[in-house]
Amino acid sequence: MNRSYGLALFSSTLVRFCSTLALCTAVSAPALADGAGGPPKGIDKIKTVVVIFAENRAFDNLYGHFPGADGIDQASKESLEQRDRDGSVLAELPPVWDGLTAKGVTPPVTQATTEHLPNGPFTVNDPKGFDVPLSTVTHDLWHRYYQNQMQIDGGKNDMFVAWADSGAMPMSNWDASKTAMWAVAQKYVLADHFFMGGFGGSFFNHQWLICACAPYYPNADKSPAKPSISVTDESGRALKIADNSPKSALDGIPKFVSDGNLTPDFYAVNTMQPPYQPSGNGPAPGGDPRYADPAKPTTLPPQTEPTIGDMLSLKRVSWAWYSGAWQYTLDHGNHEPIPNFQYHHQPFNYYANFAPGTEARREHIRDAGLGGASFIAAVDNGDLPQVSFYKPQGNLNEHSGYADIQAGDRHIADVISHLEKSPQWPHMLVVVTYDENGGIWDHVAPPKGDRWGPGTRIPAIIASPFAKHGYVDHTSYDTTSILRFITERFELPELHGIVVRDKAVAAHGEPPLGDLTGALDLN
Amino acid sequence: MDVDRTIALITAAGIELTDRRRNDKGNGWSLSFANGASVEVGDDGSASATGKGAETVARLLNLPAAGGSS
Repeated sequence: MNRSYGLALFSSTLVRFCSTLALCTAVSAPALADGAGGPPKGIDKIKTVVVIFAENRAFDNLYGHFPGADGIDQASKESLEQRDRDGSVLAELPPVWDGLTAKGVTPPVTQATTEHLPNGPFTVNDPKGFDVPLSTVTHDLWHRYYQNQMQIDGGKNDMFVAWADSGAMPMSNWDASKTAMWAVAQKYVLADHFFMGGFGGSFFNHQWLICACAPYYPNADKSPAKPSISVTDESGRALKIADNSPKSALDGIPKFVSDGNLTPDFYAVNTMQPPYQPSGNGPAPGGDPRYADPAKPTTLPPQTEPTIGDMLSLKRVSWAWYSGAWQYTLDHGNHEPIPNFQYHHQPFNYYANFAPGTEARREHIRDAGLGGASFIAAVDNGDLPQVSFYKPQGNLNEHSGYADIQAGDRHIADVISHLEKSPQWPHMLVVVTYDENGGIWDHVAPPKGDRWGPGTRIPAIIASPFAKHGYVDHTSYDTTSILRFITERFELPELHGIVVRDKAVAAHGEPPLGDLTGALDLN
Repeated sequence: MDVDRTIALITAAGIELTDRRRNDKGNGWSLSFANGASVEVGDDGSASATGKGAETVARLLNLPAAGGSS
């Protein structure tokens, strides 16, 4: 397995000044030519790459009892047992504040019903327990940058309940053995050591999928976003706890001095809105209707770091980001519960290179249609570009709070069945993974990396005619492993964040993060 | 309706809080959520929702209608 053959192309200093792709490419070309080694043998058999990005599930949450995988049964006593905010072992789990089921679900599982759960994981659809089916929308959980690090607690994974806003909910899991995607995982490859690229939530991890970088808000302390700058403790990896915060997890949700979207040095790590429509923030009064109001505190200024899209375009590799309900939302506005378009799940919409009016936007950001219909049509017709990212619309993404597991699972399995019948299938690699853990506990310690991640373990399924069949891949991966594969396959300049991540992981003595070829038989 | 209760009810539905600050008048809180909704929660317990996702937020808070108050 070849891990990395490109040289570091973008020093952190250079990237800050690399305002146009033309300047970046001028620097990158000689570096690539000087790179040592080469792509893994046989990797060119893969001609089409499809990445499907679902939402908010930890590995143990869905695949904790998958045969042959590092699951809940392999968890140590220490990681199963949750500790209180003072470090003591909790006598029991707190209730799920406001109940386990989402508002409007009948019959509801109320907060009172969830009291006095034993300190450990519980299965939501256990017929002898809550017996809540996979088609039920359940309570959402905090899934934020600093909280995720506090919950992981240096790899012990014993503070997920302590630093949650949902009581016992982080310890929930599901028997997913009857789902359609479980069958897909059995048929192809389930990666059981695949970690989310960045700590925290969807906004940040979508950025890691396409950029391996932390977005930046210049001069945030002099901007409308100033009150959104977080206050951390002396470690810099945890939020400063407020004086009036409940001392015990049994007493309530923790409070912090400032739990904002920006780090103290102005990196955007929690949800900010795109500077372009569709965005949660409307246009400025009298402003360009294609833009979001930059005076809103949650509008992120356009980003200029190079993305994997820029690298693919540089090498004239065709690619697209297919977004479910993109055009519907632009034309009709958003509607809930369907399609429940999520503005911050569209990472290229934060980048100046893909601003409204650009050719790059027209070519690469594509409407996947309602229910993914346009994307599926492209699959059926064999019209996919060499690299595709598919983002299901909100109600089909499996996110707690507004989507259920079953609808998204069935949708993605349906997409897989279309991919298997596509004219492009004989040379295709499909990666189905989740953006992040959704605040849900997992027992495996993430590899020690850099400041930004990796975070908690998430499921990843690799399907391809070249996938090892019925195989559990124990290789250590993270979200950037997808970028590693794309980079190696198409001989792209390597994104700076991947170089930094690799060095950090190596410095900690961790196994190198793979490029997904461990799941393939390319001979 | 206090501000912490408001946030808990909305975020439980998977709508992430993106901004929380005191309002300009100093008599309540201005909240922003990932679905585009803005919620004003007064220190007197009043609440109102506006913006793209206001309808959903109003439903979660049992407000009479988007833009209404309780």
